[in-house]
Amino acid sequence: MGRTLSVLTSTAALAAVLTAVAVSGPAAPASAEDNNNGRTKNVIYLLGDGMGRTHVTAGRERFYGANGKLVMETLPAQGYVSTYAVEKKSGQPGQADFRPNLVTDSASSATAWASGVKTYNAALGVDAKGTVVPTMMELAKQAGYRTGNVSTAEITDATPAGQMSHALARGCQGPVYSAAACQDTTVTGAALPTGDVRVTPIADQIARNGTADVIFGGGLSRFDSTDETALKEQGYAVLGSVSSQIPATRTDLNSATGEKVFGLFNKGNLTIEKTKQDNPAAPQAQEPSLPEMTKKAIELLDNKKKDSSGNGFYLQIEGALIDKRSHANDAAQTLEEIKAFDDSVAAALDFAKKDGNTLVIVTADHECAGFNIIEKGSFTNAEAAAPPANVDAGNTANNSATSRPGGNVKDTARSTGIINGAGAGDPRNFAPATFRTPDDSAEVKDGSKEASLWLTYLSGNHTGADVPIYAYGSGSEQLQGSVDNTDLFDIVGNSLRVLR
Amino acid sequence: MNRKRRLLLLAGLLAAALLAVAAFTLRTPAGPSASAAEATPMAAAARTSFPGLVPAAGEPDLPALHTAKPPKGRTAQVAGPFDDRLVLEDLAFDGSAATGAVRVTSDVSDVLELQVLAGFYDHDGALLGTARFVHHLGSDSHNHAGPPEERETFSIAVPAKYLGKAVSAAVGVPVLVNE
Repeated sequence: MGRTLSVLTSTAALAAVLTAVAVSGPAAPASAEDNNNGRTKNVIYLLGDGMGRTHVTAGRERFYGANGKLVMETLPAQGYVSTYAVEKKSGQPGQADFRPNLVTDSASSATAWASGVKTYNAALGVDAKGTVVPTMMELAKQAGYRTGNVSTAEITDATPAGQMSHALARGCQGPVYSAAACQDTTVTGAALPTGDVRVTPIADQIARNGTADVIFGGGLSRFDSTDETALKEQGYAVLGSVSSQIPATRTDLNSATGEKVFGLFNKGNLTIEKTKQDNPAAPQAQEPSLPEMTKKAIELLDNKKKDSSGNGFYLQIEGALIDKRSHANDAAQTLEEIKAFDDSVAAALDFAKKDGNTLVIVTADHECAGFNIIEKGSFTNAEAAAPPANVDAGNTANNSATSRPGGNVKDTARSTGIINGAGAGDPRNFAPATFRTPDDSAEVKDGSKEASLWLTYLSGNHTGADVPIYAYGSGSEQLQGSVDNTDLFDIVGNSLRVLR
Repeated sequence: MNRKRRLLLLAGLLAAALLAVAAFTLRTPAGPSASAAEATPMAAAARTSFPGLVPAAGEPDLPALHTAKPPKGRTAQVAGPFDDRLVLEDLAFDGSAATGAVRVTSDVSDVLELQVLAGFYDHDGALLGTARFVHHLGSDSHNHAGPPEERETFSIAVPAKYLGKAVSAAVGVPVLVNE
């Protein structure tokens, strides 16, 4: 009888353990306080639009000096992301009709990480043949996660829209439909009915699909009173007034509460940080910064204190103006946008460290403008009087280029000096823009030849360079090394366990 | 089978059943509502219909065109949703076309989409009809290989049936998207 009792006791204990495992295992959402069995509970995906490797380096040197680091650079997993797009009607990589386009735009890149497919420039949430593909934010929402989408651009712009819409053309932003902006018969063969989601203005989609619980950004002009009604019917707290076109303010943001919040703080893109710093009394200075929006979005989405189910969240944060000011070749503004973005990374990382079950990913969609750091006192090929010299073409080790005996001197007629600081008013000044760093002595000024950080641009458009990626938290090891932007869909999807 | 054996068999069956439950649970994808997510195809996550949204019936209109009273021989500007992002320059009307330029002041990047809508008016100030200028980046006539352009010139011809009747024009911008 004693042996029987022992067997029964052991069996009961085993059953209790197994029952506990079954009940508290990965299938059940875990509270933030436990270790969640290694499952990623939250994903915060931060994207510096147009932020190439040099943008990061220049930001580091400008704000923290040569021996410093941006916060994003302190994340433990680091690598690079390839970003190429494909042509319209192309197949996917490995298929016979695959036709790559080596320089992506923000729409194609957003679709790559949000939906896991290569598509053509301008496409959102559709593959290169126009087929609708679900987005990570839609999948997360379907699976019960809370969701957020924050940008310093219009919220209908490519990066945020890549998670919350399906459109043949990124220009179909609203508030109204137009055939030129919304249709693409190269892809579809014939014009689609205007009721088809793929030609429905993006603002109309965002206001009605409920994909993101928390929406912060710009672009109020894209929305109208019918959109406001649709938002409120879904339970959104709408900050400011859409129907009266009154942007929300920092005060509105700070006081926002609720499960679903929609706040647009400018009729267009948000105001650049440098303008707000230079004009602190201007109304635009009342717009919240990206770090402020990031902290508030996390606060609203992190419902562990008020929801015992402890469901996690998926949040996308975009520093959009890095790209837009790089298009403008304005290094001073670009640097401040990089700093604001990095401060947002700091906010996300701070939360992740306290939470313990959050994956933080920091990357970019593409590089913009061929941003570069040149040696102090040197000049770019674009400033030279003639193409680069190669006087050694007779040498068999160096004979692959046409011999050019000279010309690699600065053309002083069209490149007369530094373009920022005191030189900003002289239209003949071509490059570079120079900036002091914390390593420079106190008397060194921006825009002087004594400043140590010399920055130049190759063009006003995107380039095809790989972009950096940094990650922290559970699953971040998958981002150590080189990945393609479509891989990010699988990595995030597997972390959230929404892929099948 | 005696009682002891029956108890052992029962305990074994219980343990096996719990093992099976545990194994199944452990290999199950574990989102917050994994069972619900599993039951729904991934493609179903895409939001593709919007009950209550009335599909567009055509190209955009500008309400202000219907109340404008532009002076004879002139092209006036009417309100549109993007007036804080642009300046209309060199507006003119010569009887056959409304001309001018849109200079984007909010961005330095490619203009992806731009539409200028013109209304044409008779001697009494009545709106005769409209015509539009459409810029779409990438179309044959608008494929900028160079740096971003901030200024786009336009010429909107008076529709043939209103030639000779139109004495003034008004223009506005219902569509503007920068890269």
